[in-house]
Amino acid sequence: MSSTASVDNNIWMKAVMYAGVIAVIGLVSYGALAVGAGGYFHHEYEENKEMYEEAKANGEDYSEFKEDKEAAHLQYLNFKVGGTAILYMCIVYAAFLGVGGFINSTQPNEEHHDDHDDHHEHHGSFSPIIFALGVMLFLMGFPEFVDTVTPLINGEGGGASGALLSTIGLVVIVAAVGNWWREDLPFNGEGEQIATSWPFEGQDVRKVGLWVFIMSEIMVFASFFSSYLRMRTEWCTDWAIRAEMGECADVALGTVVTASDLLRYDLGKLMPGAINTFALIISSYTIVLALKTAKSKYTEDNPFKAPKLLPFLKDKKSAVRFYLLATFLLGSMFIVLKLIEWSHLIHEGFTIQSPQGSIFYIATGAHGLHVFVGLLVMLYMIFKADTIEFDEDNGQGIEYFGLYWHFVDLAWVAIFPAFYLY
Amino acid sequence: MGEHQSKMEIMIQNTFKMDVYAFSFVVLMVFTVIEVAAVFLGEDMSLYTVWAILIGVGIIKAYFIAAWFMHLQTDPRTYFWTSMFPFIFVALMMWGIGLSNPNAVSSLPAWCTPNYDIIGIMP
Repeated sequence: MSSTASVDNNIWMKAVMYAGVIAVIGLVSYGALAVGAGGYFHHEYEENKEMYEEAKANGEDYSEFKEDKEAAHLQYLNFKVGGTAILYMCIVYAAFLGVGGFINSTQPNEEHHDDHDDHHEHHGSFSPIIFALGVMLFLMGFPEFVDTVTPLINGEGGGASGALLSTIGLVVIVAAVGNWWREDLPFNGEGEQIATSWPFEGQDVRKVGLWVFIMSEIMVFASFFSSYLRMRTEWCTDWAIRAEMGECADVALGTVVTASDLLRYDLGKLMPGAINTFALIISSYTIVLALKTAKSKYTEDNPFKAPKLLPFLKDKKSAVRFYLLATFLLGSMFIVLKLIEWSHLIHEGFTIQSPQGSIFYIATGAHGLHVFVGLLVMLYMIFKADTIEFDEDNGQGIEYFGLYWHFVDLAWVAIFPAFYLY
Repeated sequence: MGEHQSKMEIMIQNTFKMDVYAFSFVVLMVFTVIEVAAVFLGEDMSLYTVWAILIGVGIIKAYFIAAWFMHLQTDPRTYFWTSMFPFIFVALMMWGIGLSNPNAVSSLPAWCTPNYDIIGIMP
């Protein structure tokens, strides 16, 4: 239970075991989706392409073959990109859990820094500066990173050497965050530091820190929106042309194509974005349920009762773990569907090289990155829920993570209509 | 997470027979359906109608997420003002950059464009 000061090394070895299971899930998914189903549809695409080219060369009606060819190619992209995305995500999940678990398991029990208390002094740390260095390296290498990753997303494969600088940046970021985490956050979630100065006196330091972080995040997303708005008001989109806005009256339809022009009137294409919207809302609710369950006090007079729809939940531990796992799976689905949607857009020629593509991919990509970072933290929380458990004393960890996750949902509330519907 | 129920939480509990989180979840789901359906089914809608629907639905959804899921309604007011502070900059960015002269990007002064030869030695 969370009341124990030290964490047994066997618990950390469990993380290594979970990492192995996740890696296997990634490989099986890749084999079944990308290689199996993807290979089948690629074969179908090649056949339809051959028939299409033959009919075209003979001057016959080729429209049906063309449609079949396109449909098969989109199916190929769905499975190829979906399977590949799951594999890469599982590799990162496994590395995160496996490496973290292994490093912790090799330390003597007394060095897990789980003996923090409320009187622990604040200390200086180099981690934020190292983190900033990592961000700088990542952004310096970002243009080449994009050029390298685009063909991978498009299902065309290719080398990954162009992504080196950004990858080094990412590794530095992960190392800095890991060290920062190790320095300040006890695994058992106890020893909350309390702010002593105005205007936050009496409040948990972590909660205050998270709100300050969210403040900075609001400004980051506002910069994406302001640049999008600036460009959007200048573009003569079909909507602006039909509304005869400004200088757009004499411009031909289709001159400027935005992502929303390609997505909003085609249910099949809009579906990934719409499903993702519902997925984020549901995941916001499941994290609320996890917090509510963790903070609830169950006694003999007031025992845990499983919800009617989820009769398999036996107790508080299984309920919190289930709600966190559901949030995690919904978030992972969000990333996979986003990458599939991107692959369809890139296939249609909507690339990051155009101004419309640039702002779309940067804004939705930055949001996706936030989701993915949240998923890594959530993986850690699921591990905690499965081992030392969350209760009314250490459940605030779920609350603070929930704040971040709800902010990600809030950002999507603005991104989805602006970039997908308008 | 607020320890005590606010008046609104009690009112929602009594009226809809569900807690405020479940109620917020239902509201968010319903308004997302409205948002998608309005744009998808209303292909001939004017630009201004679309703006009105998207902005209106966005405000409602943002309120329920921030007020209840993020506990701003029940947490100390300091958190509310903390969350409001960046909106000064958001307003400046939206108004000063987003909605300023759309041609300004193409009519920037030369010194503000890429590859400007600042010391006059470039060929």
